[in-house]
Amino acid sequence: MDQTLSKYIKFFTCFLILASTITFAQAQINPTEIVQKANDQLRGLSSTATMSMKIVRPDWSRTITMKTWASGEDYSLMLITAPARDKGMSILKREKEIWNWQPTIEKVVKLPPSMMMQSMMGSDFTNDDMVRQSSIVADYEHTLLGEEEVEGMTCHVIEFDPKPDAPVVWGKMKMWIEKENYLQLKTEFYDEDDYLVNSMYGKDVKEMGGRILTSTLELVPAEEEGHKTVVTYEDIEFDVDLQEKFFTVQNMKRVR
Amino acid sequence: MWRSSIILVITFLLATASPSFAQKEKKEKNWFITGYIKNLQSLTFFDNPNLISPLNDNLLHQRLNYSHFIGEHWQIKAGLRTRLFLGEGVKLNPNYGSDIGAVGNDIIELSAVWLDKPGVVGHSIIDRAFVEYSKGDYQVRVGRQRINWGISSIWNPNDLFNAFSFTDFDYEERPGSDAVLIRKYNGYASSVELAFKLSADPEKSVAGLLWKFNKGSYDIQLLGAYHKQDLVLGGGWAGNIGNGSFKGETSYFISLTEDRDNALALTLGYEYQFENSLFLSAGYLYNGAGQKSGNILELFNFELSARNLYPYQHSLVVGSSFPLSPLINGGVSIIYSPNENHPLFFTPNLGLSMAENWDLSLVGQLVFAQAQKFTSPLQAIFLRVKYSF
Repeated sequence: MDQTLSKYIKFFTCFLILASTITFAQAQINPTEIVQKANDQLRGLSSTATMSMKIVRPDWSRTITMKTWASGEDYSLMLITAPARDKGMSILKREKEIWNWQPTIEKVVKLPPSMMMQSMMGSDFTNDDMVRQSSIVADYEHTLLGEEEVEGMTCHVIEFDPKPDAPVVWGKMKMWIEKENYLQLKTEFYDEDDYLVNSMYGKDVKEMGGRILTSTLELVPAEEEGHKTVVTYEDIEFDVDLQEKFFTVQNMKRVR
Repeated sequence: MWRSSIILVITFLLATASPSFAQKEKKEKNWFITGYIKNLQSLTFFDNPNLISPLNDNLLHQRLNYSHFIGEHWQIKAGLRTRLFLGEGVKLNPNYGSDIGAVGNDIIELSAVWLDKPGVVGHSIIDRAFVEYSKGDYQVRVGRQRINWGISSIWNPNDLFNAFSFTDFDYEERPGSDAVLIRKYNGYASSVELAFKLSADPEKSVAGLLWKFNKGSYDIQLLGAYHKQDLVLGGGWAGNIGNGSFKGETSYFISLTEDRDNALALTLGYEYQFENSLFLSAGYLYNGAGQKSGNILELFNFELSARNLYPYQHSLVVGSSFPLSPLINGGVSIIYSPNENHPLFFTPNLGLSMAENWDLSLVGQLVFAQAQKFTSPLQAIFLRVKYSF
């Protein structure tokens, strides 16, 4: 089995999680409620997107671009548009089943569920940064530290301390949530010894698909000079008419 | 000669419609050209004093894929494969050109050897050329196409329209068949397919019906076919045990000629990917038409078909791949056939992403057998540079 495919699946997983963390606008003051709003998920909603992921290292970088179609967390379809070698390859996910279409050999390959469970090695995003986003409301105590400006926008600064026995990996997190639209402009992840491990930046705030959102997400490891992973949405639409019956092997072969 | 000229003209037309030119267009395009250029350098070592060793050969290989969408329902696709062979192995075989030219899965001849000199051979083939019409749940395809009925990972006894050489890792697209395919989708992973490749030669004709459906997270397929003077009943599945995938495929070939017996082909496989991206697979092939005790070198010259996918009766395979760094992947596959010769086929590989769209791979093919005290009578090493566009 091709490790390239495995890389795309990681990217796919990453997208599914990112899509579910795009925020809604609503006014709140209580820090837990701010976090709740900032983390309000798009579960059950549908979206289509064109996006890229660029892995940057001191002496090289690689970019993957793709189109995605998703309906909630259970149904999604992704089409690789670059690199050229794998253009036209697609991946379909329906609940726990995953298929891969390989146009060069005209073959539909059923993939093992274990492929969706691998960590995001090869990019700086890890399952811990991403998958656990959903636990940031339930597993942490939230303290409002005050206000700060990030890129000219006023943000609530909130500290996250894990609740006793919460199954989390971070010792602490700090999040800068922009006041008007509840955008996560910056998040710092600390280990148990209070050392900064990763910073995630939400950038290029713009209106896309009728929502104000951060169209670029950058993850920067603290200890590795010149390393980062950048996810950019070129285009995204929400609430599109995508029903369960769109997510078929037939469409996996047909989308372009 | 006229054929060579046609091929050359088509090559020229496709080549001038270069992708860099194409990308300048801003409006929604309805046609695309993709492809690659790759260079495969090989060294073949023989443990035989009568043979020159190693043999140094070079294969320059270009592929152009053309696709054109016409309106909502029509699509045209074509693929052109051009290769230039050069080297000592090519020079050793005076029939190299005609041998390369004779290899084909086709009824209509769409290939040409346009250069045939001692040590240098040039060959082009249009290995895809079809028209597709699709509307609603229906899809009809006519022309040279790859019909892939395989569902399992390594061996595919259900892949009746094509079989490819196990050792030819450099032709992932595999040959096309001059065929008609009619497919109706009737569920998210279900379809009924009728396909036929007809020829005056019954040894070349294939016609079959395939039914695919999904039940309890298993993709299941059943087929009945006429395949090169055999009647075939077969089926396969792809599902999960735990979080790994469990696949299998089987075909029973009922011979319609006196020359050969009925034969069963059956394969099983399991694959798992660990959280750290380590990928492991294991599989088994029973080949009823295979030899009970074959020589190891059978691997390079046995007659391959869906009813004979590997030379020996029983074969076990284990494989693994792992990303050594974000840019480097390593992998290995080992096939062992438990018979008195104990043939072992070992293929390590290493892949490196050199730059965006540039890939380098190093592939080894090593065979071992007890007769040679498990030293290797034949080894080949391939270094491939590939640029994709």
